Amino acid sequence: MYVSDESRSSAGEKSIEKSQKKWKFSEILSDPAVKERWEKVRKYFFLRESTYDVTGRCNIRCEGCYYYEGEKQFAEENRDPEAWRSLMKAEKERGITFVVLAGAEPALVPELCRVCYEEMPLGTIASNGLKQIPADTGYKIHISVWGNDSSSLRVRGADNMLIRQIRNYKDDPRAVFVYTFTRQNMDEIHEVMEILAAENCKVTFNMFSAPVGYSGYLRHTPESLLYCRETMLSLLRKYPDHLLYSPYNAVAHTHRLGLHDLYGCSYPRMNPSTDLGLGRSFRQYRSDLGWDRAAACCVPDTDCPDCRHYASGSAVVTARLFRHADDPLRFRSWLDYTDTYLAVWVMGYEKGENLCEEPIAPPGQDAA
Amino acid sequence: MTVETDKIVLRVAEVMIEELKLEDVTADTFDPEVDLVDEVGIDSMDLATVALVLQDEYGIRIDEDDYPKLTTVRRIADYIQNKLNE
Repeated sequence: MYVSDESRSSAGEKSIEKSQKKWKFSEILSDPAVKERWEKVRKYFFLRESTYDVTGRCNIRCEGCYYYEGEKQFAEENRDPEAWRSLMKAEKERGITFVVLAGAEPALVPELCRVCYEEMPLGTIASNGLKQIPADTGYKIHISVWGNDSSSLRVRGADNMLIRQIRNYKDDPRAVFVYTFTRQNMDEIHEVMEILAAENCKVTFNMFSAPVGYSGYLRHTPESLLYCRETMLSLLRKYPDHLLYSPYNAVAHTHRLGLHDLYGCSYPRMNPSTDLGLGRSFRQYRSDLGWDRAAACCVPDTDCPDCRHYASGSAVVTARLFRHADDPLRFRSWLDYTDTYLAVWVMGYEKGENLCEEPIAPPGQDAA
Repeated sequence: MTVETDKIVLRVAEVMIEELKLEDVTADTFDPEVDLVDEVGIDSMDLATVALVLQDEYGIRIDEDDYPKLTTVRRIADYIQNKLNE
């Protein structure tokens, strides 16, 4: 059921009212549960990410796929493992501590994934999950799910996709199933979630964010964004042990404003500053080992105003620590978001219980 | 440089060491001119943490937009001193 405009504005006013007192950071940290979570997440502030397209090939072709937009798809593949090893060594020298291997489909080049892991032990691989990545590559593996098997067949051209993904990754501590909400598959999450929870799989959510120039039927509308939020919040209550998510994740990724307008994107493509943070260190390497600052972000060729990617938020929202430390509930929400991000992306990190169960407005905004 | 600024330099160095768990350095031996980004390796999250603690301690507001200017302990101390004088 869609949420009305009326309930949107009342949620926003409620959140704005809460932000009147000026809080000291030490006051916010005086709550033992908050302090404990802060100490837990800040140990990971050393993470500095870059992303790498390890191959231009894929075993399926999905509508709205980002890889096959723009110029990066035409890069000539470098398949030499030693070239990748040298790149990883150079990246370490540059201060990078976390890699995201994407593609097209990284499972098609397991030898390159392994070399990266040997040189850089923290990272995540984005995969469609149809081909198992060997266990000796100890990165998190994000398996993309775009609806039930009927939708997957229509949008991705692959049969029995969920069953095959589960067969490959059930009981694998590396695996997180990433359900992407499009405008067309919002209600399918219920049957997909039931299956994944029954198989004891961990799940998180992503929002379809249109590639540049895309105006197809997967693109979200204000109504579908709110419907996704309500769905996410109800599933969080139903599957607390299997969903890696928080109410604030739902707010940040289904807000009428995209992530750039809400938080200011810190990736080089939208951030010209090279002084600090991602603007200074982030690179997005293509499969020929080249990179282009003007195109560098976590999912290149996304239409920036429509960007609500989980990958983008994981950097953009977490980086806005300072802005979230103005109010106890907003800071708790930021801790939940950061705790979720680490559980989704970092091997061995266990998510705690969410500290804030209500949807809180992002800094300077209403909640809708 | 005033005695007051010296005290702020020392305190900023202490906060930096404590919050970022820097080893092999004390507030007295911390070079206030060393580049925090290039030579110490601190990043935006570290700087935000230090800024939140210093804000509390001195009752000032450190603007996020000013982070790129705060590249040494000395610059942070001068920034605080200027805010206190406003």
